Amino acid sequence: MTFINVIHAHSTVLLIVSFLLFSFLMPILERWKNSWCATMAVAAHVLAFVFIGNLSWRVFTEGTIHYELGGWSPPWGIEFVVDYLALFMLITISTVSFLILIFGTVDLTHELKPKVLGLYYTLYLLLVGAMMGLAVTNDFFNMFVFMEIAAISACGIISVKSDRECVEASFKYLMLSAVGTGCVLLSVALLYMIGGHLNFAFAAAAIQDVAHIYPNNILVALALFSVGFIVKAALFPLHVWLPDAPSSAPSPSSAILSGLVIKIYTVVYLKLLYKVFPIELFDLLPVFDMILILSALSIFFGSIFAIVQEDIKRMLAFSSIAQIGYVFLGIGLANSTGLTGGLLHIFNHAMMKSMLFLSAGAIIYCTGIRKIDDLKGIGLKMPVVMGAFTIGAMAMVGIPTTNGFISKLYLALGTLDANKHFYLAIILISSFLNCLYYFPIVINAFFGESEEEDGEEEIQVKKLPLRMSVPLIILGAGCMIFGIFPKYILVIIERAVEMIL
Amino acid sequence: MGETTTSFLPVFVTLFPMLMTLAIYYVQKESAKLRNKLSVITSIITFIAVAAMYPQIIRGDILVFELFEIIPEMGFVGTFRVDILSFCLALISSFVWMLATIYSIDYMSHEHAQNRYYPTLIFTLGACLGIFVAGDFFTLFIFFELMSVISYVLVVHEETEEALKAGYKYIIMTIIGGLALLLGVINTFELAGTVSLEHTGMITTASGLAFATFIAYIIGFGMKAGMFPLHVWLPDAHPVAPAPASALLSGIMLKTGAYGLFRVFFNVFNVEFLQETNWIFVVTVLAVITILLGSAVAITQYDLKRRLAYSSIGQMGYVLLGMSLFTEAAILGAIFHIFSHAFMKGCLFICAGAIIVKTGKRDVRELGGIGIKMPVTMIAFTTASLAMIGIPPLNGFLSKWNLALGALDGGAPFYVVVLLISSLMNGLYYLPIIINAFFGEEVLHQEIKADDVPFKMLLSIVVLAVCCLIFGVSPINLPFDLSRMATDLLIGGGI
Repeated sequence: MTFINVIHAHSTVLLIVSFLLFSFLMPILERWKNSWCATMAVAAHVLAFVFIGNLSWRVFTEGTIHYELGGWSPPWGIEFVVDYLALFMLITISTVSFLILIFGTVDLTHELKPKVLGLYYTLYLLLVGAMMGLAVTNDFFNMFVFMEIAAISACGIISVKSDRECVEASFKYLMLSAVGTGCVLLSVALLYMIGGHLNFAFAAAAIQDVAHIYPNNILVALALFSVGFIVKAALFPLHVWLPDAPSSAPSPSSAILSGLVIKIYTVVYLKLLYKVFPIELFDLLPVFDMILILSALSIFFGSIFAIVQEDIKRMLAFSSIAQIGYVFLGIGLANSTGLTGGLLHIFNHAMMKSMLFLSAGAIIYCTGIRKIDDLKGIGLKMPVVMGAFTIGAMAMVGIPTTNGFISKLYLALGTLDANKHFYLAIILISSFLNCLYYFPIVINAFFGESEEEDGEEEIQVKKLPLRMSVPLIILGAGCMIFGIFPKYILVIIERAVEMIL
Repeated sequence: MGETTTSFLPVFVTLFPMLMTLAIYYVQKESAKLRNKLSVITSIITFIAVAAMYPQIIRGDILVFELFEIIPEMGFVGTFRVDILSFCLALISSFVWMLATIYSIDYMSHEHAQNRYYPTLIFTLGACLGIFVAGDFFTLFIFFELMSVISYVLVVHEETEEALKAGYKYIIMTIIGGLALLLGVINTFELAGTVSLEHTGMITTASGLAFATFIAYIIGFGMKAGMFPLHVWLPDAHPVAPAPASALLSGIMLKTGAYGLFRVFFNVFNVEFLQETNWIFVVTVLAVITILLGSAVAITQYDLKRRLAYSSIGQMGYVLLGMSLFTEAAILGAIFHIFSHAFMKGCLFICAGAIIVKTGKRDVRELGGIGIKMPVTMIAFTTASLAMIGIPPLNGFLSKWNLALGALDGGAPFYVVVLLISSLMNGLYYLPIIINAFFGEEVLHQEIKADDVPFKMLLSIVVLAVCCLIFGVSPINLPFDLSRMATDLLIGGGI
């Protein structure tokens, strides 16, 4: 009974603490019971589902949860806030990272040296925990700490293969993300200087009061925040770290980086824009217009770069840049339809892209092929993997009955609501560009002359283990289900949007 | 006017084939024969289900069904709605589809990858019917995209380099068309606040956005209908597909574009508005070019199926011309030509398939004397060709007659000249084939058995040819009656 009470009262913090605890358990387990690592990582996620279940029940029945850490009420203590937006992110993160983990338990034994396997789970759980922390935090400093944890652990899961490319990519990521966090820290300092508070709500009130005295501080802080989060979220001009990182890292790392990590920063940025900065500020600094322009560039160039890639994972990474552009487009439109589309795309893209990366990983696992041109006829040999890939590709293009269509629909209507027809054209053009680089892969995989194979050597295909195919099937089914019945996720998103605007 | 009744039939005709696709897919591992039977049975049941709507439709009732809500607050609900126009299209589609499926069993028996062919064929049937029975533009768009994307598999079935190339062109154009259509639909939603087909004249104020909407629809549906200058995918994609699939692509799937344009002209906009703003003139001009270009290029083609494909472009031009003239007779002609062309082109393509299977020849110059060796097939081919040219009493004559009447009613005799020229050109490319087949010097040296073609193929060929014959100027003419009712509905504005 008391146990249940504890969960009920403290599920917010237990969620994050359990991830941290489990992650530090890993190095110990790895020494004695190497085989338990994977199981415990899965257990951490299962436990998280319990907490999130409890949280969502409470949010739906009681409304927003304010949790005061250690009983210290804000502005002195750290506060966690679980509102619909946070809940939405928690659900997205936990589900997708769980499926990636299940896939990873097999794939990683193949990709990594056994020595580092346990450490990988440490980093993975740390990253997931930090992301969840970022989703619920309501405090600048806490946010900064979680950002650092996420950055370091993300860097770790990229470099874990310790070959030349991975180390280079992770170093690049480390540098750029240090620049990003540096910017964020600086702007936190600037805001603290004039407001004297670290809690979002209190800081917002303080800033509102002193906005007319220190407009420059706030403007600089906003600019620094923007740069920091744009680096982290890999929006166009500052995206340079992203294509290298997922393409060289192990597939589960790529999936979580492209699918979740870049999204959480957009959400934090969104939270800051609406919760902390006074609305009048946006007249002085047209930050939404800037976001729109950057997102359009990101959408366009991400797709263009993706077309010319030869390596399948690199292509997927460039496609992520374009897709994160959609999310920012939704934020920049700043109306309810557009924002709903943007948030919905976070969820949808998390599913699609992690599915695509996992299927790329499965192809590499089974055949060792990374080059797009070599994938001829693979569809008939690996129907499940290429089936998932096909659904992902369709969702990317926005074919109806896939979830990508729904988010594009919302975004398109959002552009019309905002009377910005140019961006509608961008959405349509980019859908077309998506088709230019996704469909040839699918076509090549399923159709093509089979006669020529006599001369060439057959592609050797390993059997796909169940633990790899099941996550793919679930994600594929998810893409279709949320394409036909989007209302189950829209329930949360609409309330989140209502609350934000 | 009839009343609105809730009926499950519209949903059934769409979802039944789609669900049966799964059954067919799993059955084929057990037995190929069962798969074939199941495919045929599915298409027959679907046809019967469509026909079962007849008694209610003929009373003027409108059948509706609301399946489930996709995004309710945006009015994005999976609604189904069958009025007489939808019924016309659904009826002819399911009928030709049934015959094509029956034909496939013998035709495809020597082809590879049948396990892929049949599920695709049946799934596309469901998606295609879905376009016709959809009750709002969102639902229509979903089925339109599904049909277009899935039929890619039919186009590239042969998997030759040529087919893959044509298929790539097809899929790229399809995506462009789909995006244009999406643009049209969301613009409509933005301007009118609804996309349901219950309404007429949703947009009746001219604005930049409204014109963009109009053009977007023209691109989206015109692409599918093979309208100039968006026809470029058609002559490549249709000939490379297997014969029954080409028959369906040309005979039925092109009509989805025409159907969509009907809905755009009469539901999204309305006649007065389009005439006032003169936007419709864009379509008329394009239709005239389409007619002349399709027919003219067909003359220069020597590949039999390619010639037929270009002919399809010309024939779709008739439909587009008819619907853009807006006079009663012209619209009647356009709708009836949808029926006629489905019969004629369906028949011609499957005849071509039979000829190619039996002789291995695709070049029309090499078909000398074929008429004597394959009499039934060539007689059917002749009937359909004559109908294409517009010889009375065949059905092609009736549609052209009405189109010409409509043009005269609209005070535009110029279009009659266009029709006559194009009929002449049709004669120029169909008659040589026939003359050569029956009276030409025999160039075939290989032996062909006298027993013509397998029964199931023959059955479909004959049925379609007979349809061309009896649905001409005969007193009992169901398609014509249905077309007349649909015309009344459209002209009366009582959609």
